[in-house]
Amino acid sequence: MASGDTLLVLGPQQGQPPATNYATLDSRNNQLVLDFDDTTEESTYFSGVLPRNYGGGGITATLWWMATSATSGDVKAGVSFERHQDSVDDLDADGFGSEQTGTITAPATSGTTKAMAIASTNGAQIDSIAAGETFRLKVARKAADGADTMTGDAELLAVELKET
Amino acid sequence: MAVLSAADQVAVTSSYTRLVCERREAVPIRKAELRAAITAVDAWADSNQASFNSAIPLPARTSLTARQKAEILLFVIRRRWELS
Repeated sequence: MASGDTLLVLGPQQGQPPATNYATLDSRNNQLVLDFDDTTEESTYFSGVLPRNYGGGGITATLWWMATSATSGDVKAGVSFERHQDSVDDLDADGFGSEQTGTITAPATSGTTKAMAIASTNGAQIDSIAAGETFRLKVARKAADGADTMTGDAELLAVELKET
Repeated sequence: MAVLSAADQVAVTSSYTRLVCERREAVPIRKAELRAAITAVDAWADSNQASFNSAIPLPARTSLTARQKAEILLFVIRRRWELS
């Protein structure tokens, strides 16, 4: 697979909530979204199988956001990967690689989307996931971070994983 | 009554944010700016308690409890601004 090619597309309905501080499902004009709070850090998990045509490069997660109501301010989000290596990783405990973060400014019109691309290099940052293995992707809004200045919920519309 | 604690101000900020998010109403300010507004409104309410109280005529001023007078203010503001 070549750099820049899409590996997976994940939607809000595939999000798996943690026990606490989870992003909540919402709809906007009949489109499913996950709402991330602006005060408390909230997260969600996505599970997948890394496609067989993955070529061993880094992975860029593009998060498509809308602001529920804001027309200014920045959203900061983080992504982290967890490899599920056969007969090695015990899924009873979390084992995510280091979180990579990105920031975008809210569009001037609430309801328009904005893409946030967060690159993770191949190796430790993606927990060394290999083609054909299951994995988890954690997406969190860093609401308590000083760089997250946007008022109100951030709505996650979709996540695209592409090889970089 | 003193000004609200930091935790209470965060709670007010969160509640207000939730309200405007549910209405999907445009909010063209940042989190820190909204928090500053809430802090300032609380400080204004705190420093103008005596003025508010003296505006209430007798016998209501001395016969009603502080909570009852605050509720009157709440109801008047609700009606003036058509708040639900």
